[in-house]
Amino acid sequence: MYQALLTRKYLTRKVMPLLAMAAVMLSVATILITWSVMGGFLKTLIESGRTLVGDVAIVWPNVGFAHYDDLIERLEADEMIEAATPTIETFGLIELPDGRIELISIKGIAPTSYNQVTGFADTLWWKPIEEPTPKDHEGEDLRLQPENRDLLAQIEQNALTMTRPDPLSGVIEPAAVIGVEVTGLNERTIWGGYYPQITNRARPDGSVELIESFIPRDGAVGLTILSLDSSGRPVNPVTRTMPIANEFQSGIYEVDEGTIMVPLNVLQRMLKLDAARRVEAVPADENPFAVDIDPQTGEARPRMRQVIGEDPARVTTVLVAGAEGFGLEEVRARIRDIYADFAAAHEGEVPSSSQMHYQIKTWEDLNRTMISAVKKETGLVLFIFGIVSFTTVFLVLAIFWSMATEKTKDIGVLRALGASTPGVAWLWIGYGAAIGLVGSIIGTALGYWVVSNINLIHDWMGETFGLVIWDPRQYYFIEIPSDVDPSKALTVFVVGVLTCVLGALIPALHSARMDPVKALRFE
Amino acid sequence: MVQEAQQHTGTATMATANRPILSVRDVHKTYRLGRVKVPVLHGVDIDIYPGEWVTVLGASGSGKSTLLHLMGGLDRPDRKPDQERRASITFNGEDLTRQSKRALDHYRADDVGFVFQFYHLLPELSVLQNVTIGGMIKHGRFGYSTHRGKVVGRARSLLERFGLGHRLGHRPAELSGGERQRVAIARALINEPSLLLADEPTGNLDRKTGESILEAMIEHRAQTGLTMVMVTHDERIAARADRIIRLLDGRVVEGTDAQRG
Repeated sequence: MYQALLTRKYLTRKVMPLLAMAAVMLSVATILITWSVMGGFLKTLIESGRTLVGDVAIVWPNVGFAHYDDLIERLEADEMIEAATPTIETFGLIELPDGRIELISIKGIAPTSYNQVTGFADTLWWKPIEEPTPKDHEGEDLRLQPENRDLLAQIEQNALTMTRPDPLSGVIEPAAVIGVEVTGLNERTIWGGYYPQITNRARPDGSVELIESFIPRDGAVGLTILSLDSSGRPVNPVTRTMPIANEFQSGIYEVDEGTIMVPLNVLQRMLKLDAARRVEAVPADENPFAVDIDPQTGEARPRMRQVIGEDPARVTTVLVAGAEGFGLEEVRARIRDIYADFAAAHEGEVPSSSQMHYQIKTWEDLNRTMISAVKKETGLVLFIFGIVSFTTVFLVLAIFWSMATEKTKDIGVLRALGASTPGVAWLWIGYGAAIGLVGSIIGTALGYWVVSNINLIHDWMGETFGLVIWDPRQYYFIEIPSDVDPSKALTVFVVGVLTCVLGALIPALHSARMDPVKALRFE
Repeated sequence: MVQEAQQHTGTATMATANRPILSVRDVHKTYRLGRVKVPVLHGVDIDIYPGEWVTVLGASGSGKSTLLHLMGGLDRPDRKPDQERRASITFNGEDLTRQSKRALDHYRADDVGFVFQFYHLLPELSVLQNVTIGGMIKHGRFGYSTHRGKVVGRARSLLERFGLGHRLGHRPAELSGGERQRVAIARALINEPSLLLADEPTGNLDRKTGESILEAMIEHRAQTGLTMVMVTHDERIAARADRIIRLLDGRVVEGTDAQRG
């Protein structure tokens, strides 16, 4: 009881505990801000990573698998599945408008169902918007301008159908949607938007061609891929010019600077994954160059082989979106069951369910490398800040040691009045806990406030001191991401209190073990 | 006043007829100053009787305060293997030297009140809190909540009696030396101890104030029959006690009945 009274009095009448409290407060606030920002960064990254892959992917790379329409039908008939879409994923070379040739990840998609599974439409960059982005205070975004609305609306529609009218002939052509960072022809602005820029293209004769590079309007890229035979071996390179319908921004720089999406059927044809007739093989004893007479024309032609069937079109991946209210693992387990039925129905034509078992991957599996890297970075930063904050223990220890020394005579008096050794120890430990509690409460509140207003504070610092830490030209997210997780706040809070108790422990034991006679005679 | 007290309590002579409330037997105490051993007490034997006022008189360094600390269970006597008798300090038949730390804590909280020369009030607490803190320590964390009213009532009553009823909310720094010592006495008496140990309670006060403090203590003793052991080097104060014990270089050289002597 007397401990509580003295703790209250010491807290309100001494400067030293206020210093200890300030140390705890700053330490708690720093850790919480760091953890929340790193956590927010990770969360934003993960959410972005999820954007283009749905929840679960059934993957059979290179050669792909057939009868995907049947699989999708079976999947969509289940209550746990919201939607499914076929895709093809491969790599190739892209020739950019300025002549550079880069390696690129190519996705063949069916835009309507792909949008249902992944929210693809939300990632399209060039479309009319009503509200400026958070840092575009002056409303400079081209997408806001009324004079651009019609063009942008058309471009958005082009992306959703993955077509574009030829600028000269007006003929509707299949078109691609490209990552907004792929061409390098969009200048990233300080408010996190893009301005198309004019660029140069070097000519073989040494001259330079100026390119006005708003490519969704009239630009195109060249795509070169290696088509594969039915066993997955490269057969021959295929090159095709693809008009660009729009650009997308998924939120992950690595995706946006190295991915192009083309219509599924186009990529199937290029990779020879489209449906094809199967004909009889030439017998070993027959001349492969034998000719027949065409009964209609009466002319000689290569001998026709008999069509003995059809190889159905294939895709490498089916992306699946789970229905609301079902867990990721739950959905994956159901997909495995559905696939098993599907594989049984098409035995010999598609990979068996056991072969496909580990190829049914959640979006977390697909992004594991990226997620674990950011998690490790978060852990490392927290570890470093934790070490720095651990110095608070020694600060509290030094302050408490000084206070316990100052209060030596009081301790002697308390012992003379009958206070026990543990009672005196509890006085300091309770005092440490009280300082830790108050410091942690204020620190947590401060940290929460800073995290909640971090972008406003950052803007204010920029305007007042010219200090810009988070520049959207360098960082991919427009705003500083943050995520205050209550469990993190609680952990930081508890650690803050324990830090103080730990710092108070040694002075408490020293004080409690003090000889009361010596304490009373202390000068 | 002294005569009144003697009438009320039955005088020192009558007190000595009872069993001693506190017996000190063959107590030695040596302190260490670095590597140097400094013997302070050399085989002290004293009996204190219930209701008695004993003064321990001696020069500085004669071991008065050390004796008081030993009587109050704040310190323990030496244990010498070559001692013929084992040192003992017995309070109401219980040997304090054999008591555990915890038991000594209870002894100090329940049975003894300390008054120091330099008051030793806790500067952050008010006058009332300085007095009630003894009750908080005695009753503990949970017991105090049930005894709070009683403790605060007694503290107010003691402070009223010592003329500090109007100073309850003041801090020690706002009080005079005499007022501080009155608060210290009230603190020592809050748990109704049977033994008051006062270490030169007037030593830091001017003569007039010291006199008033002494009067307050005598008056309280007269009303309650409290046993008092008072350390002093002031012959005038000692002369007013029931009995004087003289210490010289850590030995009792004389024990006289002050009133008769």
